[in-house]
Amino acid sequence: MLRITGGKVYDPTNNIDGVVRDICIANGQIVADVQGGRTLDATGMVVFPGGVDIHTHVAGAALNFARAMTPENHRQAAKFLHSPEQRAGIGGTTPTTFATGYLYAGMGYTTVVEAAVPVLSAKHTHEELRDTPIVDKACCVLMANNEIVLDLLEAREVERAKQVVAWLIWAAKAYGVKAVNPGGVAAWKWGKDAKQLSQPVEGYSKTTPARIIAGLATIVDELRLPHPLHLHCNNLGAPGNIATTLETMKVLEGHRAHMAHLQFHAYGGDDWHSIRSEAKTLAEHFNANKNLTADAGAILFGNAVTITADGPWQHLLYQLTGRKWGNLDVENETGCGIVPYVYKGSNLVNAVQWAVGLELLLLIDDPWRIFLTTDHPNGACFWRYPEIVQMLINADFRHERVQALPEKARKRMVLPDLDRQYSLYEIAIITSAGPARALGLTQKGHLGVGADADITIYNQNPDGEQMFRYPRYVIKAGDVVVEEGHIRNAHEGREFLVHPTYDEKIEDFLRPLFQQVYTMSFDNYPVEIERITRPEVRAV
Amino acid sequence: MSCTLGEVKNRADFIIYWGGNPAECHPRHFTKYTIMQKGKFVPAGRKSRTMVLVDIRETPSAKAADIFLQVRPGKDFEMVTALRALIKSQRVSKEVVAETGLTVEQLQDFADRMKSARFGILFFGMGLSMTRGKHMNSAAVLTLVAELNAFTKFVAMPMRGHGNVTGSDMVMRWTTGYPFGVNLCRGYPRFNPGEFSTVDLLVRGDNDAALILGADPGATMPQPGIDHLARIPTIVLDPKVTHTSRLARVHITTAATGISAPGTVYRMDEIPLPLRPPLKSPYPTDEEVIHRIHQAVGKKPAWLPAANGRASVSRAG
Amino acid sequence: MITLTLKEQPSVPLEAESISPDVMATLSHDAIASLPVYLGKRQCRVDDFFRVEGGASEELHINGDAAKVKWIGRDMTRGRISITGNAGMHLGAHMKGGVIEVSGNAGDWLGGEMAGGHIHVRGNAGGQVGAAYRGSVTGMTDGLILIDGFAGLEVGMRMKRGIIAVRGPVRDFAGLQMKGGTIFLLGGAEIRTGAWMTRGTVVSLKPLRLLPTFAPVAAYNPVFLRLYARHLRTLGVSIPFESREGVYQRFIGDSAVPGKGEILIWQPQSTR
Repeated sequence: MLRITGGKVYDPTNNIDGVVRDICIANGQIVADVQGGRTLDATGMVVFPGGVDIHTHVAGAALNFARAMTPENHRQAAKFLHSPEQRAGIGGTTPTTFATGYLYAGMGYTTVVEAAVPVLSAKHTHEELRDTPIVDKACCVLMANNEIVLDLLEAREVERAKQVVAWLIWAAKAYGVKAVNPGGVAAWKWGKDAKQLSQPVEGYSKTTPARIIAGLATIVDELRLPHPLHLHCNNLGAPGNIATTLETMKVLEGHRAHMAHLQFHAYGGDDWHSIRSEAKTLAEHFNANKNLTADAGAILFGNAVTITADGPWQHLLYQLTGRKWGNLDVENETGCGIVPYVYKGSNLVNAVQWAVGLELLLLIDDPWRIFLTTDHPNGACFWRYPEIVQMLINADFRHERVQALPEKARKRMVLPDLDRQYSLYEIAIITSAGPARALGLTQKGHLGVGADADITIYNQNPDGEQMFRYPRYVIKAGDVVVEEGHIRNAHEGREFLVHPTYDEKIEDFLRPLFQQVYTMSFDNYPVEIERITRPEVRAV
Repeated sequence: MSCTLGEVKNRADFIIYWGGNPAECHPRHFTKYTIMQKGKFVPAGRKSRTMVLVDIRETPSAKAADIFLQVRPGKDFEMVTALRALIKSQRVSKEVVAETGLTVEQLQDFADRMKSARFGILFFGMGLSMTRGKHMNSAAVLTLVAELNAFTKFVAMPMRGHGNVTGSDMVMRWTTGYPFGVNLCRGYPRFNPGEFSTVDLLVRGDNDAALILGADPGATMPQPGIDHLARIPTIVLDPKVTHTSRLARVHITTAATGISAPGTVYRMDEIPLPLRPPLKSPYPTDEEVIHRIHQAVGKKPAWLPAANGRASVSRAG
Repeated sequence: MITLTLKEQPSVPLEAESISPDVMATLSHDAIASLPVYLGKRQCRVDDFFRVEGGASEELHINGDAAKVKWIGRDMTRGRISITGNAGMHLGAHMKGGVIEVSGNAGDWLGGEMAGGHIHVRGNAGGQVGAAYRGSVTGMTDGLILIDGFAGLEVGMRMKRGIIAVRGPVRDFAGLQMKGGTIFLLGGAEIRTGAWMTRGTVVSLKPLRLLPTFAPVAAYNPVFLRLYARHLRTLGVSIPFESREGVYQRFIGDSAVPGKGEILIWQPQSTR
């Protein structure tokens, strides 16, 4: 039992904007009142709901491949020393699993969504998540290049496709559906890509990326999943890709959707020399399309590792930069490409990318629809989110950083003209309340009665980066897990799963097909529920 | 630059085995995953696939090959380096190429076939990774394959040894960041092959105790390494009494994984598979034994000095 | 001057990055004696293994067979370390300035990712001299490493700038993936010298067996060698460059990359 008293509470879901009030906790939940127990004096401090990261890459085959590729990054990374409270580990661009939990919790984040899980290696993802302490987790399973699904869409067997998708979500023990470069990763299996939404995908005559997007969005809505289709658009990273993004938004009309790392999809220009920001155009359309949410996918200058199921894009990046390249195609389902990368302020393209992330956060007017992410580790490491917070709440500081960019770059963006400053209330929305709502996690992202007791308490500090980097206390499920930067209690978090309704007979269709095109026994394919630590299943 | 085995089954029309003998060492490879399979995009199966075997001698695997390239021992690196040049239409020295046991014409033909494949795969074995050049031989084929992607789809995969070596690689990576040769003495993971890898540690005598699980170094290490194991306190966990057990201080018999102990293995293409042990064993599993040792060690005083002991998280990672 | 005399052989390798002029220059004798060194997983004191004399100096003298003492001189930027005896792995790794001299042998990773300074090993060195650590794209970026004996594998791997000179023979992969700098092999090398180099120069006074991706282009004595020879003579290293003595056969490669590195192999007049 715990009472937090004297702190200024920010709870946007419940319209509480910096009001000094008590928060009471019992049995891991927020309750109306407690008698006895510990009292935590938060006078002069700021109380937030625990952070929710709606899109990150922290566990599974792709990330583990990236770890293998970058020992030099590990050598420079923060070192987590073994102690009675803490497992050894390494931070940096691809933190080890225990370090991932400590780093997120240390920053006041208590729920994390692993954004890209192949069904075939989902067991691996869940094993890594089991070794990620403190935070609660959920997974999005990759679907938009699943050849069984694509073949069904090609044959116009939409109902059967829906049954298969539902079965796959439960087989993977996932929470949501992820679509990455729809059709493009399937084309990459032959070394090609899918850049035109209305062109049939390599190997298909009727199935276009647009059809896949619309098909999956419909299926997700019909299955009534709590989180909408989570979409990484075609043409990521390419100059002029604003056209593809706007076209995608048209395809999505009438459906819910969450657009991932929007920054990478907001470029104008024809080539790398003429690349410019089209964040303004994108924000205008996005503001008008109220069926959509998005996460920023902002970049920060410094070390990153690009890890994405967008295989063709990564091959291109390797050819352009000569950097290390890794690629792992997963039979019938998806693939991933990995290129370690360094973003530099002196590089015109990187400068534009840096601006675009911030522009989207400033130009999209509803903080309930745009969330703070860096597509970790693609844009920047997640433990640098506090740097972005500072740039959002302090326009002067932001302008100073803009002035440091090359003049040529400043002509390609509107950021110099933007003076908006985020309030703490709005920060609480984009880091917690908003993502929780978009995920349909009703017990997260707020401090009302019945919520999970995931609470972060900050010392007030005009320097947003310092304030958000060093929470005074982090409480998870009612336990004080971090106190002044030190891990006190690294318990295991829970994992949220969705069990969609499907006709069991779909297995009669899948089994023989599976045996034909896969390379393992069908009985070994689904993830066993025992493999999930503290699962919380939601039937839909 | 890799893929899962189903990609090979469904798409590969050009399959290279380099420095491995799958017919004897991975006996189900051809039939289950590669040349003999009818794939989704290779419905004619064997007829539409070409298999190239590169090795220093004609093993039983050569019977299954369409093309056998006999490379001289210790010349793989030279051969791959020449191929890297040839695929980019760069010049190579005829005389030096001839030292590999093959001619420039043979290598040019090989390069052309690789470039015109629809989907190529290069499987490489210990004949490459354990011979002169070691990790550079592996790096060579991986680089060649990466460069082939400028022309066509090409992937590579290591032919892993027995046991769950891939699984241990995976778990080590996610918990420490590194696949093997991990040193935790300073309280956090560090990696340096040649300094912290097993054979080097043992041969130099850099460790003063050893716990051996799922391996038999007493049979495979160079003699100085074996002598060192015999000198220091060595503990062996194994279902059988091994060569290492005979020179160890303690041998603990454990249940055989997969036969009487459960777990998860990772296939050579890094896909996890559950083990379903059919039998029971009177012996504890490796996991149970390690857990008990760990609990006993946990009761001892912490060995890290106080300054290092406090767990701290909120720093620039 | 600070003198450290090894009084106790470590049973397992001792990690001693605190033995560096940058660390010890301002410390008193007692402070030096209590500096941490790591015996496997145990933190010990310098004076558990060394008898300490002197303090507060940039000049360190180490006596004894310190072949199991690693990381001496790590990150140093100034001063001098002279070792009478052997030294362990990673001697002078990441150093940026100052001088290290060893009367005996050094271990692997001598001058690993060095950025400046001067190392002279009178005995033999191990592998990965001036090399990049695993995964890094760049090794040594400046400085000079001189080895009187022989050295091991991957000498100068991925170096970008600087000079390495070895009197004795070296093993495979000298100059692997070199991006710049110069390696002088007075005693020749085994195989795969200059493998995958993109730039840089390897000068060998003995014949070399090169990869098939190196092509002979000319035989001459480049002018820059004359300059190098003068510089190296001050260090006691003799490089021939007079045409009456012989000529260098120049090879370019590695065409596998394709790279623009060069390998110069000395052909004495008597053999032409």
